[in-house]
Amino acid sequence: MIRFEKVTKRYAGPGKSALDQVTLDIDKGEFVYLVGTSGSGKSTALRLVLRELRPTTGRVYVAGKEINRMAGWKVPRLRRQIGTVFQDFRLLPNKTVAENVAFAQQVIGKSQRDINRVVPETLELVGLKDKADRMPDELSGGEQQRVAVARAYVNKPMILIADEPTGNLDPQTSVGIMNLLADINQAGTTVVMATHDHGIVDQFTKRVIELEHGKVIRDEAAGSYGFQHLDNQEG
Amino acid sequence: MQLRYVFTELRTGLRRNLSAHLAVILTLFVSLSLAGVGILIQREADLAANKLGDELKILVNLCTVDDPTLRQGNQNCASGEVTEAQQKRIEAEIDRNEEVESFEYLSSEVSFQNAKDSGIISEAASSGPDPVVSPETWPAGYWVTLENPENADGIISALEGLDGVSVIKDEREALGQIFGIMKVLKYGSWIGSGFLLLAALLQVTNTIRLAALARRREIGIMRLVGASTLYIALPFLLESLVTAIVGVALAAGSLASFQYWGIEKGLAEHVNFLPWVGWDDYAQSLIGVFPPGIVLLGPALTLVPTLLLTRKYVKV
Repeated sequence: MIRFEKVTKRYAGPGKSALDQVTLDIDKGEFVYLVGTSGSGKSTALRLVLRELRPTTGRVYVAGKEINRMAGWKVPRLRRQIGTVFQDFRLLPNKTVAENVAFAQQVIGKSQRDINRVVPETLELVGLKDKADRMPDELSGGEQQRVAVARAYVNKPMILIADEPTGNLDPQTSVGIMNLLADINQAGTTVVMATHDHGIVDQFTKRVIELEHGKVIRDEAAGSYGFQHLDNQEG
Repeated sequence: MQLRYVFTELRTGLRRNLSAHLAVILTLFVSLSLAGVGILIQREADLAANKLGDELKILVNLCTVDDPTLRQGNQNCASGEVTEAQQKRIEAEIDRNEEVESFEYLSSEVSFQNAKDSGIISEAASSGPDPVVSPETWPAGYWVTLENPENADGIISALEGLDGVSVIKDEREALGQIFGIMKVLKYGSWIGSGFLLLAALLQVTNTIRLAALARRREIGIMRLVGASTLYIALPFLLESLVTAIVGVALAAGSLASFQYWGIEKGLAEHVNFLPWVGWDDYAQSLIGVFPPGIVLLGPALTLVPTLLLTRKYVKV
């Protein structure tokens, strides 16, 4: 589903490469944690998958297509196959819960009939059906992240990318979000999650890919977070 | 494409940046009005030149009994009223000049009537028991039409020293002043409108930048969920189009007022020796292609910078 072939990404200016000759494969339906310290290259890897960035050298494949050579006008179509969840939720404060979720469908031209059908279903999946008319600031952090997950999942993407989705949440709420992501993964969506949350990684055992200074230093099928001394560092 | 969403965003965007949009509309209104006036003056100049260019004549006045030019030292009239021999010599000189296409003798009476008709002699000056001017004191003369009105120097120099010639008037001199004034007005309005159009362009740029900033979170989400560049840019483009339409409509209204009150009911009624621009010229100032009319200019001024900026801000 996602393949990096000797991918190197260097940003302008002096400094080391954000990613250095990274090669990895993520299969359809997998759940993968990307772990590593700040600056290890996790976010760069996720942005390469979204084609927000292009590699300096190497190739990135998503769903069998080499996306670094993809024409600009095809990028929106690629992104419709990828849902994205962020640490800071990124909800639109002037829209209700349902409108925030519907927004992801409206802007890609789905019909109102589809939206009226799919949005309530998705809100039910994330457990927020009864809060469809609430504004984001009336929700708890965990609920806001559920809305963000609903928005990322409403178009039924093949891949869901989550960048520190539990970073702003307490442990109990984080477990709720992880259960939700696990359900989505169970339904067939490939999930790639960048995280610093060792508790979550250790509790929900999945494949772990660890990056350090832009290189893959560990790739375990059912790994743990490892490197406990880095707990307090931010990502 | 969800047009309902696009129009909702358009309404929100217009309301959110109302003062900025009003500033753009007002600047567009004034600058496009000036540009339109410039186009009308350009067309007026062309019209006058085309209409009068071929008809430009040289008027050769013959000496009268007490010719006024004598007091200015014109020795051609030293012998008093032009004699028959002098007139024959003058006519022969005109006739043999290669630059002359045709000529016509105008008696004192005909010249006097022409001068009255064109307003050179007022009614008061020519009426009453003791008029200031009369056909008896008005000079006879020749209207000389040239092959090329630009080549008048040869005939003028050939005639100006001949006895019996009082004054030689080249119509180009009088009309040249009118064309000069038109040129100044035309360039003045174009330069003025150029600066204002530049101001409008910068205002559009700032408005779009502000709008993109206000909607950056929304735009970020749209990009991530796979909205196309066109879809993201559409509300911005429509906002620009709306401001352009209002600006153009106001400018078209002000130009129509200028055409009606300024030209039809103003200049055309008082200055009747020149042809004046009409409503077809007004239409050209709106929809002309070269120079571009305000209907093209307005949207181009707002949509082009919007397209360029949205490419920068909403690039997927």
